[in-house]
Amino acid sequence: PVLQNVELLTKLLQLNQAPELTTDESDEDTDDMADELGVPADPIDPQEIYDLIAHISDPEHPLTLGQLAVVNLKDIEVHDEGYKDRMAEVIVKITPTITHCSLATLIGLGIRVRLERALPARFRITIFVKEGSHQSENQVNKQLNDKERVAAACENDQLLGVISKMLSTCK
Amino acid sequence: MPIQLAKSLKLHRDKVWSIDCSNGMLATGSTDRSVKIIDASQYKLLDELDNTVHKKAVRSVAWRPNSYVLAAGSFDSTISIWNREGEEEMDNSWEMELLAIIEGHENEVKSVAWSHDGAYLASCSRDKSVWIWESDEMGEEYECISVLQEHSQDVKHVVWHPYLQLLASSSYDDTIRIWREYDDDWESAAVLNGHEGTVWSSDFEKSETQLRICSGSDDASVKVWKYVRDDEEEQQEWICEATLPAVHTRAVYSVSWSEDGHIASAGSDGKLVIYREAQPGQWKIVDQQELCHGVHEVNVAKWIKINGKTMLATGGDDGYINLWNWDTSSTSNKNN
Repeated sequence: PVLQNVELLTKLLQLNQAPELTTDESDEDTDDMADELGVPADPIDPQEIYDLIAHISDPEHPLTLGQLAVVNLKDIEVHDEGYKDRMAEVIVKITPTITHCSLATLIGLGIRVRLERALPARFRITIFVKEGSHQSENQVNKQLNDKERVAAACENDQLLGVISKMLSTCK
Repeated sequence: MPIQLAKSLKLHRDKVWSIDCSNGMLATGSTDRSVKIIDASQYKLLDELDNTVHKKAVRSVAWRPNSYVLAAGSFDSTISIWNREGEEEMDNSWEMELLAIIEGHENEVKSVAWSHDGAYLASCSRDKSVWIWESDEMGEEYECISVLQEHSQDVKHVVWHPYLQLLASSSYDDTIRIWREYDDDWESAAVLNGHEGTVWSSDFEKSETQLRICSGSDDASVKVWKYVRDDEEEQQEWICEATLPAVHTRAVYSVSWSEDGHIASAGSDGKLVIYREAQPGQWKIVDQQELCHGVHEVNVAKWIKINGKTMLATGGDDGYINLWNWDTSSTSNKNN
């Protein structure tokens, strides 16, 4: 506790000095006091991730990814300390309904878009097809985790339309 | 003196993908489809290019050497060419006018680069090809003189040698290819195999005595490759001379080789790392900066020169350009 108080004091002193980093129009989110003082908020846990993605609709079935067991709570891994200024990681393994499912990439992309929109910037998101569940695992995995391809896909109106439809059942 | 933030500029509303610097002028490209021109010595925004020209993200920007001509490559599959209007008037007003739009790639253009003499423009795309373009004097007409199709996947990045007519391309197929001019055409001179993931970028050493290139990959490593020999009419032989000390924990998106021999790397883990060659082929980390764009990913790190002073420029997913001071002379007595 003593150590923590010293840290708090240092942080408080730093707060009183003008921050140097953002010299221009700092339109960053206004941090709440607790976060500024280095007290973590509640870390995000696998259940919260599951709740974010389980209600995504399957692109070809009238069911959700949760109902189809494409996403499962036990296949979600989260590393998060809750600090806004530290990196965190989420890893989601998906199980496509059939091994040659050509829509695996689309499903993975839908999950990624959902998580990128819902999670704070500190999260690095990795999406894998579960081992043995897909014929071209490596190819799908590489594509789903290529930042540039994902960014370009998100500028494709047609694709974005399909994804919006998949995400429309999310709360 | 350790790496120190000199200036942080919020220039874009979305990811900054690319930075290039020439004559102290910074150009930046972003997902927000805009290109900004900044006077780096005064941190002053000079111009914002018409952001209706590109229909998608501007992925790459490059100044033509010794000019105010700028190329911008976009996910909309085109390349735009710009020039400073009224340059000869020598007044302080800056306005970039559109000179040309180059079409040819089937889909996203990922990178553009001018050869050292400005004679050629290279571009690459998700369509797996590298194109080499030649322009007229005015820079208004562009003719494709070669389409290089040996990569088996997206080509992520192209870079020219600082003195030679030698081009390197980095790819999603995990390799780097070296290209050379041969009999009025261009050909693959070597394939550099060794990375275990997409190669995101590479940069040549600025040396007149030896030929080397560094590369950064999705496998989180930075490697240095060395040209060994070139048998007549054979492929050039290159070897992987070094894998730099492992410090990145995620994809390395950008590498840059300074004129005085330092390599800088940055990527998904938000770290900016500087390495120096302690012994030939043996590299040490001399400095690093964590979270150099907060918790955001860093897409580009580049050594730049402003009024004769070497600095580092980084661009991140937060829409910021950060400029870093780093005293290169301090490394000789550090971490030895």
